[in-house]
Amino acid sequence: METLERIEADGGPDEPAPLESEAAARDARWYFQAGAAVATIIGLLYWAVVEEKIRSTLITVVITVVASAGLWIAANVLFDQVRSRWATFNAIAFGLLGAVLGVLLHGNGITVGSGSGFLPWVIGPLVGAAVLGTLGYVMTRTQDANQRLMIATGTGLAAGILIAVAVREQFQPGLDFVAIVVYTAILAAIGAGISILLKHSPVGGAMIGAAIGWIVGAWGGADLGDGSLVESLVATVVPATLLGARFGMTTDPDYAERVNIDTHSRATIFVGPAILFIFAMLVVPAIRTGYLSLLDRNSEEFVDGENYGSVFTDRNSLDVDNWTDMFTSVPFLIGVVLLGIAVVVGAAMKKRTGRAVEIGNPTVGPLVVGLLLISFGAFTAMRGTLINNLWWVVVVTFFSTALGLAIAVLADGRRGERVAKSIIFMPMAISLVGASIIWRFVYLARDTSTEQTGVMNALWVGLGRLSTGSGLPTLIVTVVLAICVVLALIFLSNALVKREYGRAIVPAILTVSLGWFFIRFVGIIGDGVGGFKIDDDGTVSGQTIFFVQEVPYANFWLMVIMIWIQTGFSMVILSSAIKAVPTELIEAAKIDGATESQAFWRVVLPQIATTIGVIVTTLIVGVMKVFDIVKVTTNGQFGTQVLANNMFDEAFNRVNIGKGAALAMLIFFSVLPVMIFNIRKMQQEG
Amino acid sequence: MSVTAPLVNDAGPGGQPGDEPSGIIDRVYGFLRGIPTGILWFIVVIWSIPTLGLFINSFRNRDGQRGSGWWEVSPSELTLDNYDQIFSARAGLGRSLLNSAAIAIPATIIPIAIAAFAAYGFAWIDFKGRKGLFIATVSLLAIPLQVALIPLLQMFVGGAKYTLPLLDKTITIVPDFDLAGTTTAVWLTHTGFAMPFAIFLLHNYISSLPKDLFEAARIDGANHFTIFWRLVLPLSIPVLAAFAIFQFLWTWNDYLIANTMIGANASQQPTTILIANLAGDFGRNENILPAGAFVQAFVPLVVFFALQRYFVRGILAGSVKG
Repeated sequence: METLERIEADGGPDEPAPLESEAAARDARWYFQAGAAVATIIGLLYWAVVEEKIRSTLITVVITVVASAGLWIAANVLFDQVRSRWATFNAIAFGLLGAVLGVLLHGNGITVGSGSGFLPWVIGPLVGAAVLGTLGYVMTRTQDANQRLMIATGTGLAAGILIAVAVREQFQPGLDFVAIVVYTAILAAIGAGISILLKHSPVGGAMIGAAIGWIVGAWGGADLGDGSLVESLVATVVPATLLGARFGMTTDPDYAERVNIDTHSRATIFVGPAILFIFAMLVVPAIRTGYLSLLDRNSEEFVDGENYGSVFTDRNSLDVDNWTDMFTSVPFLIGVVLLGIAVVVGAAMKKRTGRAVEIGNPTVGPLVVGLLLISFGAFTAMRGTLINNLWWVVVVTFFSTALGLAIAVLADGRRGERVAKSIIFMPMAISLVGASIIWRFVYLARDTSTEQTGVMNALWVGLGRLSTGSGLPTLIVTVVLAICVVLALIFLSNALVKREYGRAIVPAILTVSLGWFFIRFVGIIGDGVGGFKIDDDGTVSGQTIFFVQEVPYANFWLMVIMIWIQTGFSMVILSSAIKAVPTELIEAAKIDGATESQAFWRVVLPQIATTIGVIVTTLIVGVMKVFDIVKVTTNGQFGTQVLANNMFDEAFNRVNIGKGAALAMLIFFSVLPVMIFNIRKMQQEG
Repeated sequence: MSVTAPLVNDAGPGGQPGDEPSGIIDRVYGFLRGIPTGILWFIVVIWSIPTLGLFINSFRNRDGQRGSGWWEVSPSELTLDNYDQIFSARAGLGRSLLNSAAIAIPATIIPIAIAAFAAYGFAWIDFKGRKGLFIATVSLLAIPLQVALIPLLQMFVGGAKYTLPLLDKTITIVPDFDLAGTTTAVWLTHTGFAMPFAIFLLHNYISSLPKDLFEAARIDGANHFTIFWRLVLPLSIPVLAAFAIFQFLWTWNDYLIANTMIGANASQQPTTILIANLAGDFGRNENILPAGAFVQAFVPLVVFFALQRYFVRGILAGSVKG
C-alpha cells in the first residue's frame, strides 16, 4: 500500500518537489476534492427537487439506511445491558420476543380480538410482551433449579393455553397425527444432533427440535378451521410447555457467561446482516440454480443430467469434427517451429545453468509464444461455445498480462508516466457496452465504392491500394521498408558475429517479420498485401474485412476489445508491484555485472511472479463469464457464442430454465478451481 | 528474497554497450535508447484512438459520419444535433440516465453500511468460527453472478415459496413485492452481489489498523459499538471512498443484471441497455450512437479522472471481484 500511495499521490519518484509546494499541492487537491464532493451533493439535492425518480430513490436510500442503522444501534444498546443489567436485558429481550409473537398471531387476524383500529392491533403484542417480559424478569431473580423449572414450565403451559383459547374458530387445526409424529421425530433428532455437534447435552436440542417439529406438524399438516378447541390446545400447549421446560432447565448465567453472551451477540449483530444478504442473494440462489439445472425447461420433472449432456453433444457448443485441420494451420506450424527453438535453447540453458526452463531465462519466450500459437491453431480448427470460451481465456489472459507488463516496464520512471498510465487505464472506467460500441466504429466496414470510415478497414484498404499501386507513395514505402529490413539484418549479423545471442533475438524477429512483409508487399510472393481484390479483367478494387463476422477470427476481434480494457488493469497492478521490488536487489545485481535487461529478467520478474499469478487468476475468472461484448457486437452469431451469452439466451429469451441453469452451473464449475486456489491461499496466509 | 537465478553475462568480451569510441555507434545507441519511450507513446496513441474517434464522431452530422473517417473531420460538419436527438423524448437518454442513477446510488451507499459492520466484526470481534466464515464469505468473490440470476429473477417476479415435504403445504418465504422490471430489483441484486467484495476490501483495511488503538479504547471502557462508531468509521473514510467509487462504476456500467431484471421494460432501462438497444438497430440510429455512448461513459469518466487514486486503490486491494 505504501508504494501505491507514493506512486499515486506524488506523481512518481521521478518528480521530486520541494516540501512546501508538495504540501500546497496536497492542500489544493484536498480543497478540490472537498469542493467536488460538496458540488456532487448540491447537484444531487437539486436533482432531487426537480426529478421525481431521483427524489424517490434518495428517499428510499435515506429510509433504508436510517431504519437499518436505527435497528442496528438499538440492538447494540440492548446488548449493552447484558453485562451489568442482566434483569433489564432479560425483561426487554423476552418482552420483544413476546411482542413479535403477538404481532405474528394478532396481526394476521388469527387470534380473537384482532381487528381494525389501533387498540385491537396493539393488544396482542402488548399481552405477549407482558407475559414473556415478566417471565424473563422473574427468571433472573430465581436461582433455585427446581423453582426455575416450575416457573418456566408453568408459564409455557399458561401461554400455550392462552393462545389455544384465543385462536379463532376458523383457524382451529384439524390435526394429522402422522405428520405431527414424523415432524416431531425428525426435528428432535436434528436438534439433538446439533446439540451433540456443539458438545452440549442432546436433551435440550431434542426438546427445542421436538417443539418446532410439533408446531410445524400440527399447524402445517392440518386443515385449518376443521378442528376444535381441544385440537387447538393439543397443537399449542405441547410445544409451549416443552419450550418453557427447556428454558427452565437453564441456570442463570454468572458474570463470565454474560460476558460470553455479550461477545457472541456482538458477533451476530455486526456480521449477521451481511451474512444474511449473502445467503439470500448468492448462496441460496446458487444452490437453487444447481437444483433447477437437473429439471426440465419448465422446472417440472427431473431429467437427470440431460441439460448438461446436451451442452456437450450439441454441435453448437462443441464441434471437434475438423480437429485435424489444426495441423495444417499456419499459427500451429509457426508454433511448432517456436517450440523447436525452445527445445534447442532449453538444451543450451540446461548445459549452462543446469535448468532448462525458469522464470526469466530465454527458453520461456519461444515456449510461451509457441504454445499460444499452437492453441490458436487448435481453436481455429474446432468450433463451439465451449471452445470459444477456452479461446477467450487463453488469449485475453495472455495478452492482457503480457501487454500490461510491457507497458508497466516501458513506463516505469519515464517522463509522463502518470499521463501514459492514466490513458491506458481509462478503458476500465468505460462500460463493456460502451467499449463494444467504440470498437464497432473501429471495425466498421463500408461499401468499397465509398470511403472507409472505420480505422481498421481504412488502414487495410489503404495498405492494399499502396501495395498494388505504382505511384510515388508506393515507391517511398518500398524504399523505407527495404532500408528497415537491411538495418535489421545488419544488427542481426553484428550480434551473431559477436556471439551475443541475447541481443540477437529482437533483430532476428524483426528481420523475419519485416522481410516477410516486404516480400509480400512488393509482390514477390502473391499480388501484394492489404484489402484489395483483382477481378478477372485485371482491375484492382478495394476489399474490406467484416471483422466481427469472419468465422472463426471474429472471436479474436471481440477479444481485442476485452484486451483493450483489461490491459490497464494488469498494468496498474504490475506497475505497483515493480515499484515495490527493493532497489537494493537491482543495484546488487548490477554491481555483479548484470545489464539492465538481465536485471529485469532475472531479478525483477521472479519477484513479481506472485502478482502475475493473481492477475492471471483474476482475468480467468473475469473472462470465463464474458457476456456484454458478445451480446452487443454479435449476439453469438458468426461462431462467436460464449457460455454466458448462451446462458442468458436459453434462460431469459427461450425460457428453457433447465438448460440455462445448467450453463450457469458450467460457468461456475469452470471457475471453481480458481476459487479453491484462492481459499487455499487465504488459509495459508492465516 | 534470495535470487537463485545465476547472473549469466550474455555479452562476450568487449561486448558492453558503449565500449567502442566511435561517434556513430554512440548516436545509434542513443537513438535506440529512445525507442522504448517512443513505443510507449505509440501504444498510448493506439489505446486512445478508439475513444478519440468516437468522441469526434459524436459531434459530426450524419453525412459527415457516413462520408469520411473521423480523422478527416472538417469544421463545417460539427454540430450538437446528435446530442439533441439522443436526449429527445423518443430516444429517452435523459430518463435512462435517471434510471442509472436510481440503480447506482442505492447500490453504492447501502452495501457500505452493512459491509462495514461485517468487516469490523470479522477483524476485531473474537468469535468461534470467525476465520472459516470469513474465508467462506471471501471465497464467494469469484463466484460468477450468472449462477444466482435465474432464482433471483423468479423471486422478483413471484416471490419465494417453499413447499413443505410430506404436508403439501406451501409457505411464502418472500412475498411478491411486484419488483419485476424495476430499478429496485437491480440495486437489491447489486447490494447482495457486492457484499463479498466490500467485506474483503474493508476488512483488509480495518484489520490493519493499529491494535494499540483498540486496546486503549477498551481500557477506557468503550464497547464494540462505541469503538466502531467513534474510531473505526472515521478512520476508514479512504477505503470507504475506494469501495464507493469501485461500486459506483461497476453498477453504473453493469449490463447483465440490469438486462436480466429489467429487460424490455423501457421506462426503467438504464443507459447501458438503452445504448445497447440503439446499437441493435444500427442503421437507423447510427449517427446518434456515438453521442449516446459518450454520454453513457461521461459520468464514469469524470468519476475516474477526479478520483483515480481511490479507484486504483480499490482495484489493487481486491482484484478478484466476481
